[in-house]
Amino acid sequence: MIHSVLIFNTSGTPRLTKFYTPLHQPAQPLIQKIFSLIATRPPGVCNFLDAPDLNETLRAPNTAPGDVRVVYRNYATLSFVFVVDGAESELGILDLIQVFVESLDRAFENVCELDLVFHFDEAHHILNEVIQGGLVLETNVDEIATAVQDKTRARKASLTSSNPLAIGGSSSGSRNGSLQTPMGWLTGRLTGVGSR
Amino acid sequence: MWERTLQDLIRGLRANRSDESRFIAQAMSEIRREVKSGDMDLKAGAILKLTYLDMVGYDMSWASFNVVEVMSSPKYHLKAVGYLAASQSFNQDTDVLMLTTNMIKKDLGSSPLEVAAALNGLSDIATPDLARDLTPELIAMLNHSRAHIRKRAVLALYKVILKYPNALQVGLPRLRDRLDDPDPGVMSATVNVLCELTRRNPEEYLFLAPQLFQILTTSSNNWMLIKIIKLFGALAPAEPRLVKKLKPPISELISSTSAISLLYECVHTCIIGGMLDGPSGFSLAETCTRKLAAFLQDPDQNLKYIALLALVKIVPSHPHLIAEYEEAIIASLDLPDISIRLRALDLISAMVTPNNIQSLVQQLLSHLIKPESLTTAPPSAAESLARSASGISTASVPPPTTNLAPTYRMEVSKRIIEMCSRADFENITDFEWYLSVLVDLAYIASVRIGALIRDQIIEVTLRAKSTRPYCVKLMSKLIGDDTLALSSTDEDSCSEVLWAAGWICGEYASDLSDPPQILEYLTNRHTDTLASDISSIYIQASLKVLGQWLAEKAEQWRLENLPKIIEIVSLTKSGIERLTAHHDLEVQERAASAVQLLTFIQADITRHQSSRSALGSSNNNPEPDFPKSLYLLSPLFSTHEIASSLSASHPVPTLEGIDLDSWIVPSEYAREQARSKPVAQPQHITVKGTSSHRTSVKKKTKKAPKDRTAPTPTELGPTAEELAAKARAKAERLARLRDDPYYIVDPSTQEDDIDSIPIMKLEADNFAPREETVHKAESRDLDEQPAEVALADGEGTSTTLKDTLPQEEVASAPATDTIKVTKVKKKGIGVKKKKPKITDRE
Repeated sequence: MIHSVLIFNTSGTPRLTKFYTPLHQPAQPLIQKIFSLIATRPPGVCNFLDAPDLNETLRAPNTAPGDVRVVYRNYATLSFVFVVDGAESELGILDLIQVFVESLDRAFENVCELDLVFHFDEAHHILNEVIQGGLVLETNVDEIATAVQDKTRARKASLTSSNPLAIGGSSSGSRNGSLQTPMGWLTGRLTGVGSR
Repeated sequence: MWERTLQDLIRGLRANRSDESRFIAQAMSEIRREVKSGDMDLKAGAILKLTYLDMVGYDMSWASFNVVEVMSSPKYHLKAVGYLAASQSFNQDTDVLMLTTNMIKKDLGSSPLEVAAALNGLSDIATPDLARDLTPELIAMLNHSRAHIRKRAVLALYKVILKYPNALQVGLPRLRDRLDDPDPGVMSATVNVLCELTRRNPEEYLFLAPQLFQILTTSSNNWMLIKIIKLFGALAPAEPRLVKKLKPPISELISSTSAISLLYECVHTCIIGGMLDGPSGFSLAETCTRKLAAFLQDPDQNLKYIALLALVKIVPSHPHLIAEYEEAIIASLDLPDISIRLRALDLISAMVTPNNIQSLVQQLLSHLIKPESLTTAPPSAAESLARSASGISTASVPPPTTNLAPTYRMEVSKRIIEMCSRADFENITDFEWYLSVLVDLAYIASVRIGALIRDQIIEVTLRAKSTRPYCVKLMSKLIGDDTLALSSTDEDSCSEVLWAAGWICGEYASDLSDPPQILEYLTNRHTDTLASDISSIYIQASLKVLGQWLAEKAEQWRLENLPKIIEIVSLTKSGIERLTAHHDLEVQERAASAVQLLTFIQADITRHQSSRSALGSSNNNPEPDFPKSLYLLSPLFSTHEIASSLSASHPVPTLEGIDLDSWIVPSEYAREQARSKPVAQPQHITVKGTSSHRTSVKKKTKKAPKDRTAPTPTELGPTAEELAAKARAKAERLARLRDDPYYIVDPSTQEDDIDSIPIMKLEADNFAPREETVHKAESRDLDEQPAEVALADGEGTSTTLKDTLPQEEVASAPATDTIKVTKVKKKGIGVKKKKPKITDRE
C-alpha cells in the first residue's frame, strides 16, 4: 500500500503531507531527510530514492527491512514523493503520480505551487479522489475530475445556502467551480488568487 | 468581525518570514478563541487553519474535540473540513474517537457525498472499536447503488479488517462478489484490497484463484492486471499447482504487452512465484533475464533500477544467466545515481562465487578509489549548467555526493567484507589474497571501518595457519608505515588495523624477518598519537617480540652479540617507559610492569657483560655462557597457544582408554550395523561452537578452512534401506525405553494406546483411614485452607488424591512428609473441580 504522500518545494517547505500509516516519529525530520536526499540528486537520474541510511528512517517497527520504497517526481518547483511498500508496482506509482498531478492541473488549470499553498484543503480533496486510506481509488483522470467537481459544487452550494452574504466565500477556493457568480469571481481574484 | 481566514493566515506567514514564531503564536491564540465560538463557520475556519499549521509542524491534538464538533455539522462544506482535520490529526490514541461512532453511522446513511466523505474519513481514523461497530454498515455499503460508493466501501473495508480481523469472515464472501462487479473501478479496488490481504496470509485466499485467473485472462486494464499479477506472485508459492497454470498466460503477457510496468511485474512474479524452477522454467528464466538485461541497457534510469532490483532475485536460482551481464552490472556502479549504485552493489554481492570473487572485489576496490576524485573536484561546468537550467538553485543545495559519499563508501566497504567472509569464507580460495584486500581496504576506504577490518585480519590469521608467515610480513609493513599511525585521529581513518598488526607481529614473532626493526616501530614511533587500546597492544607485542628474539639469541649464543642485545633492550625499555605516564590507565599499568621486567633483564645482561669482561674470554665453565634472563620473557607468552582457544579449530583431546566409537549401551541399531557391514566411518566428536568459531575434529585434520565444504562420507545422504533400518531401530529403542525410568521419552513421538489405559471407579471408603492419618499429621498445614479440605472431605473425592500420585510414593511416604501432603492437597482440589469421577492415569 501507499504509506505516505508528500509534496514539498525546492527549499523543503511542505505543501501537502498525508500519512496513511501512522508514523512512529515526528513528521518534520522525515520530510527534511527525504528532501535533503532528493535535493542532492543530479538531474536525469532515476525516480527511486535509495540511500544506505534511509530505510532505518522510513521503516515502521513491524515491516521487513527493504520493503519500503520512495518514489518521487519533480514538477517545476515541487517534488511529489510517494512512500510505498512491496505491494505497489514501482513503475505503476510513477504513473499514479502523473495521474495525481494531471488531476490537480484539471482542477486548478495550470497548477502551480501557489495553488497548493493557498488551497491546501482543495489539494487534499483531490488526493482523496485518487487514494483512499493508502489504496488506489481511481486512476482515470476524467473520473477523478468529475468527482472533484461534484464535491466542489456541493461544498459551494452548502456554503451559499447557509451563508447567503458570503458569495463565493474564501474558505473554499477552487477557481473553476461551476457556481461562480461575477461577484464570486471578483472575490476570488481579490483574495486567494490575486496574490500570485 | 475581523477573523483571519486560511488565506489570510498563509499570506501572513509569507509576509512574516523573519518573525514566524511570533506570528504563529498570535495566530494560535486567535484560533484558541475561535474554536470555542458558537459560530460553526468560525469554528470550522479555525480548524482549517489549525490543520494547515499541523502540516507545518505545530501540534493540534488539543483541539480534537472541536474537530469532532465540526465533523458533526450537518452542513457539507463544514463536514468536509472536519473530516479533513480528523484524518490529518487523529491517531489510534485519540480519545474523542469513541464519540464519532454514531456520527459516522449517521453519515453512512446520508446523501452519497456525505457517505463518500465518511468512508474516506473512516479509512484514515479507524480504530478497533470503530471498526467493530461499523462493520455491518460497511458490509451493507458494498451493495450500494452507486459505483463510487461501492469502490470506497471496498477500500474502507480493508482498513476495517486490519483493525478488526473478525470483519474478514463476513467481508470476504462479499468482497468475492465484488470481483464480478459491473464497474471496472470497483473490480479494480477489490483486486487491490485482495492483493494486500493475500500478501499477509496467502493460504487463506487460494479459493479465489479461479476467479482471479478469469480476470487475468480476460481483462485489459493494465492497472488491474498489475495488481492481479502481484496477487498471483503472492499466491503461487503457497500452491505449486498454480505455477503450472499461470505459466502460459504470463508468458503470453510478457511477449505481447507494450506496457513496461506490466511486463516488469510479470517478470517479477515469475521470479518470486517460483516459476523459473525446474527444467520447464529454464526457458522462461532465460526470457526474463533477457528482458531485464534489455532494461539494464535502456537509457531510462528507472528501468535500469528495477532491472537490478529483479535480477537480484534471479541470482540464487540461475547465477550463470546473470553472469553474462556482469559487465553491464559493474558499469552501473559508475553512474552518478546513488540509488542505482546501491542496487548494483546488492546484485554484485549476490553474484559472488569462488571463481569471480577476485575480479569482483578488485572492481569494487577500484570503484572506491575513483569516487575520491569526484567528491573533491568541484561540480563540472556542464553539471552546474544543467542544474541551473532545471531550476535548482545551487546556493541552497550542498555540493552533490559529499553528504552521501561517506555512507556510500561505508556501504561498499562493508559489502566487500561481507562478500568475502560470507558463510565462513566459503568463497575465498586464496586467503593471502584476502589479507591483501583487507590491507588495501584499510588504506582506501576513508571511512571508519577499521574495527571490522581488524577483526577480519585476526580471524583469518587465526583460522588459516598457512597464511601466517605472509600475514606477518604484511603486518610488519603496516606497522612500519606512518600514514595510518599519523592519521589515527582523523575521522575517516582505519587506524584500528594497527591493533591487528601489533597483535599479529607479537603473537607470531617467530615469523618476523627483522625483530629489532619491528621493536623499534612498536616502541619508538608515534606511540603518543595512537589510540590507547592500540598502545597497550603494542606494549604487549613488543614484549613478545623481544622475548622471542632474546630466546633466539640465547640459543645461538655468541658473546659478540651482547652489545647489540643491550642496546635493543634499553631502546625498548626507554620507549615503553615513556608510556608509563600515558593518560589511559590500562596503558600505564602495562607499561609499568613491562618496564620492571625489562629493568631486570637489563641489569642481568649488564652484570653479565661486566663479569664476562672481567673474566676475559678464557672460560672453562661447562654451563652455557649467556645471561639467564634472556629466557625470562618468552615463556610468559609461549606456554599456551592463544590461537587455539580463539580460532576454535583445535581437536578435543582423546582420553586414554575410551573408545568413542563404541556404544555405551549397545543398541539394537549398532548391533545390526555391525552385523550388516563393518563400521564404515569412525564417529567424529563435533563440538558445536558459535557460528564464527566452529570447532570440529574434522576441520583440524584439514588445516585450511577452505576445504571445509568438501563433504565427508558421514555427511553423504543415507540410502533408503539405511533410513528404514534406522526408523525400525528407533521404534524398537523407544519401546524399550518407555519403561526405563532413566529416560525421558518424548511424548510427541509416542503413540497413545488409549485402550491400554486402565480406568477404574474409586470408592471413597477404601482410602478414608489413610487420608485421616495424613490429615492429622499435617493438620496445621491443612488448617490454613480449611474450606478446601472440608470440601474435599465432604464429597469424598479427597481420597482420589492418593491415586493421582504414583502408588509407591504414597506407600513409602511417611505420614509426616510435608511436601507430599501439600502436593496431594493441591491435586485433590484440582481434580475435584473437574469432575467427581476420576480416571486413574497410571
